[in-house]
Amino acid sequence: MNYQFDFSFLNGNFGLLWDGLKVTLQLALVSNIVGLVLGFGLCLLTLSRWFFLRWPAQLFIEFFRCTPVLLQIVWFFYCVPMLFDVFIDPITMGVLALGLNLTAFNAEAYRAGVQAVPREHLDACVALGLRPWQRTLYVILPQALRSAIPVLMTNGISILQQSALVAIVAVADLMYVGKSIATEAYRPLETYSLIALIYFALSLPIAQFVQWLERRQDAALAR
Amino acid sequence: MKASNLAAVPPRPLHACETKSSEFIQLRDVYKSYGENLVVMDHLDLDMRADDRLVIIGPSGSGKSSLLRVMMGLESIQGGTIRFQGKPYIDGNARGKGKPMDYSLQTQVGMVFQHYTLFPHLSVLGNLILAPMKVHGLSKAQATEKARALLARLGLESKLEVYPSQLSGGQKQRVAIARALMLEPKLMLFDEVTSALDPEMVIEVQNVMLQLAEQKMAMIIVTHDMHFARHIATRVVFCANGKVVEQGHPDQLFTQPREPRTREFLEKVLHLD
Repeated sequence: MNYQFDFSFLNGNFGLLWDGLKVTLQLALVSNIVGLVLGFGLCLLTLSRWFFLRWPAQLFIEFFRCTPVLLQIVWFFYCVPMLFDVFIDPITMGVLALGLNLTAFNAEAYRAGVQAVPREHLDACVALGLRPWQRTLYVILPQALRSAIPVLMTNGISILQQSALVAIVAVADLMYVGKSIATEAYRPLETYSLIALIYFALSLPIAQFVQWLERRQDAALAR
Repeated sequence: MKASNLAAVPPRPLHACETKSSEFIQLRDVYKSYGENLVVMDHLDLDMRADDRLVIIGPSGSGKSSLLRVMMGLESIQGGTIRFQGKPYIDGNARGKGKPMDYSLQTQVGMVFQHYTLFPHLSVLGNLILAPMKVHGLSKAQATEKARALLARLGLESKLEVYPSQLSGGQKQRVAIARALMLEPKLMLFDEVTSALDPEMVIEVQNVMLQLAEQKMAMIIVTHDMHFARHIATRVVFCANGKVVEQGHPDQLFTQPREPRTREFLEKVLHLD
């Protein structure tokens, strides 16, 4: 390979990169908050006794799980303003698309956590005289949330990666900025390698933390 | 001969009293089935006195665990009635109207299970005080004091702040018994509590149950350990196919069973001992 790496073009572009990074972080963080909170609510709906609550919730989840994220982003950007006759700024659109996607995946993670609680614990709660809401609050939820956390964090990291897709609709996140610098400076290899390193550096610590958490949980929750 | 350090046999009458008018527990014509084909309690009748310690033995699927679960209120029955302490407790014939169960009586029954007994996200203390505080309204200080005293009686006082994952199987089951005892039940149900334990931990749990027997706690025990059954029971009940086939004083039932079905079962089980 006789390619000469030349990173000199970066001088003067750091400001742009930093702005892009800020947008990416904003997208990732707000989507996560949306996904964690709404995901829990959606999970409760899927576990509800009533069919007319369960069915739309399940449909929502299937839509977001069974279509590509790219498509969801594009759909939100182009179809939602047309269908509902509203204009929302691009970053909010991005948060909406990514956040609702994360909601669907997180709802499944929460549900798996709840269903992993052994049925014997429910029996023990009845034997102790705890009422249903007490069972849920003091016994099921603490355990369900603990086992759901690794998956929720993994989903969160994955949304950080998916946020790069908003570049396709010209939201000025890290990916979009990288693309425009690469094109202008004719240095795709260096630029994209650097962008990749930044995403990697953001995600790796969290991924390692998740691994550590899972190891700790395996030890602590030996039932 | 195993169980050389099992505690002494608690006091019990020489002959099992099968009185017809038992004020403590009366099961009459209890019917329970899962679907059409699986009948686990087939018009079952059973009586129990307040100082009885019933041990239910029998092949799998004979309705032993179902009986305990029904008494605890974990499952419903489709027919028959159960009276507890002289009052109607569970009514299998109430469909829609009328109460199927008296919940105030349910709180006086305690149960210990075979697996996954303690809540892993709470310490031993947390496990013990959860129900007394949330259901019976005890203050944290009162509940903690009670928990400490109970654990001291069981020799586990040092484990108050420990988490279940750090306990052995035998210790977990003993804490589970303590947890049930916190609510001062009138009746304790034990569903094969030693079946999942390593053999060397079985004795410590059985000794706790014998300790309870000394204190005249009424109990219904389901176990495969025939030696222990003979040791602790005031009456042994042999169930098969959802019916009570035979019941009697342990010494009599184990040595001279009347029914051929009982004999057949005991031959298989005692032979393995």
